[in-house]
Amino acid sequence: MNLLESVGAGARDMASHKGRAVITIVGIVLGTASVVAVLSLMRGGEKQTEDFFDEMGGLRELRITNQHSHDIFQTAAERASERLTYRDAQAIRRECPSVLTVDPEITEFLAVAYGEKTFQMKVLGTNRDYPHADNMPVAEGRFITDKDCENYANVVMMGPTYKEDLFGEEEAIGKTITIEGIPFEVVGIMQKKEFYFEGSGGSDRNVLEWFNRSHYIPITTMVRRFTVNDRLDGLEISATTIEAVPALTEEANRVLLRRHGVEDFNVESKSDQIRQRNEQEAFFNIIFWAVAFVSLFVGGVVIANIMLASITERIREIGVRKAIGASSRDVFIQFLVEALVVTASGGALGILLGLGMVALTDKVLNMPTAVTPGILLIAFGCSVAVGVIFGLFPAIRAARLDPVEALRYQ
Amino acid sequence: MLIRTEDLTKTYDLGEVEVRALRGVTFGIEEGEYVAIMGPSGSGKSTLMHILGCLDTPSTGRYFLNGTEVSDLHGRALARVRNKEIGFVFQNFNLLPRVDLVANVALPLVYLGGMNRSDRRKQAEGALDSVGLGHRLKHRPNELSGGERQRASIARALVNEPSILLADEPTGNLDQKTGREIMAILDELSGAGKTVIIVTHDSNVASHARRTVEIEDGAIAREGRA
Repeated sequence: MNLLESVGAGARDMASHKGRAVITIVGIVLGTASVVAVLSLMRGGEKQTEDFFDEMGGLRELRITNQHSHDIFQTAAERASERLTYRDAQAIRRECPSVLTVDPEITEFLAVAYGEKTFQMKVLGTNRDYPHADNMPVAEGRFITDKDCENYANVVMMGPTYKEDLFGEEEAIGKTITIEGIPFEVVGIMQKKEFYFEGSGGSDRNVLEWFNRSHYIPITTMVRRFTVNDRLDGLEISATTIEAVPALTEEANRVLLRRHGVEDFNVESKSDQIRQRNEQEAFFNIIFWAVAFVSLFVGGVVIANIMLASITERIREIGVRKAIGASSRDVFIQFLVEALVVTASGGALGILLGLGMVALTDKVLNMPTAVTPGILLIAFGCSVAVGVIFGLFPAIRAARLDPVEALRYQ
Repeated sequence: MLIRTEDLTKTYDLGEVEVRALRGVTFGIEEGEYVAIMGPSGSGKSTLMHILGCLDTPSTGRYFLNGTEVSDLHGRALARVRNKEIGFVFQNFNLLPRVDLVANVALPLVYLGGMNRSDRRKQAEGALDSVGLGHRLKHRPNELSGGERQRASIARALVNEPSILLADEPTGNLDQKTGREIMAILDELSGAGKTVIIVTHDSNVASHARRTVEIEDGAIAREGRA
């Protein structure tokens, strides 16, 4: 008997034992469905993290932060260091071959006025790399240019929320506002940035709103007009390619160490951050996996049991088949294929149910999910594997039956 | 000679005790013979039938079927011999309950291999027709009378054109009238040249055969010819 016929026979047998097939299938359907749901939730979480970092500027970025001991524990070298400065940023741009963008940032809260309105507002001194590095398109006008930085120009780019606050619906480009009494020309408006983490109750908070509530001015202007030194609050640099990230990390470390004389800074890649975040989620993933595994295991045990019971019920059938020429191998294949037909159909139904569960989770619980072909393949593979593993023992039992004993069985 | 046995013995080892079901059976059956193997229950006739039908192997002794020694064969090879050389007819019919008659009768052809589904069904339909069940092809066994079921099982036994038809108490579960119908079919097959072996304890059934072999206590006690 060839394999195709065995599958046909298995399907026909299943169709003729509908009740048995349904009971057998339920476990596998649930198990497969939970595998689909679990993997989709896991993938959804990962994807959301990736999307978030992507929105924040992608994986080519490195964040450089100050990292020094508490004042009283500082060494002389640490005390002597100026920490991260605008000059460091310029040195990195000059000396690191793998660098694409350098985005130094100094943030101040300053009095900003237009007409009758005056607010205490966040002003960020930066340069032309800011929108590039942080993936921020311009809605209107332009961003700060190299020329603005060279000329210490009094120009400002506004975040969309601040623009609303000061101008409402009024056209802002070309108008003049004052920052701490100094006139600045509005040259551009940023596009609104939005990102919402789904689920865990945080769904209505735009976690990127701080970008919208900011004015952007040339960092040179910031240093000359509003700060006492050029110490940076943040420095983000990006590599020419994702592959160049390790090289850039090395280069930036070397340049900064030479300039500071002490390692009072930390160069961290976005992929480090993503990895940290995923490690935090790993614990939940283990629980998810355990649930899926238990469901599949229970499904498998049910299959093994029902198949063993059905072998008892079918001992005579096995005897007859052997009497008319079935070899042990034929019987083994028949029973294994029957198990596989059951689990594969269970797997297919389970995938459908799983997709339903995923859609429901997405809609009702508002949790991030992502279904990929790989997930469906894994889930189906799990159901088939259960069929093989738990179908094996009953199939061996059936194949080993002695035809004389089997025919005599009442 | 179609069947030749030399000093067949069968011993079952039941732990403490050994049961000697056959104690040396030597006999032969020519092609086309109509033989009844008789004996009370416990005589060893069932064991002999199982060995002749290649369902079981002898402990010692040799068994030649159609010129091949089959006493040494096991597993797949023995299954192959059962499939090609032996057609079984059982007392309780042993049809598969959940498939129709055509599928039941076509089953030996499935294990024979090398035929596609429609050819198998065609051949099975022919076999069913030859036992007068051409109008019952799509019925399931539980929709048929006992006589019809036994006729279907004869059709199944014949479908592979085996060299031997081996019937174990073929009328045991049938009323007298139906039993006679079944025996008429076997007589007819024998008349057409088929080798037929009936295992029975019923002397009326045995009287249809042209030769009887009586087994008692694991050995041949008497042989007779009609």
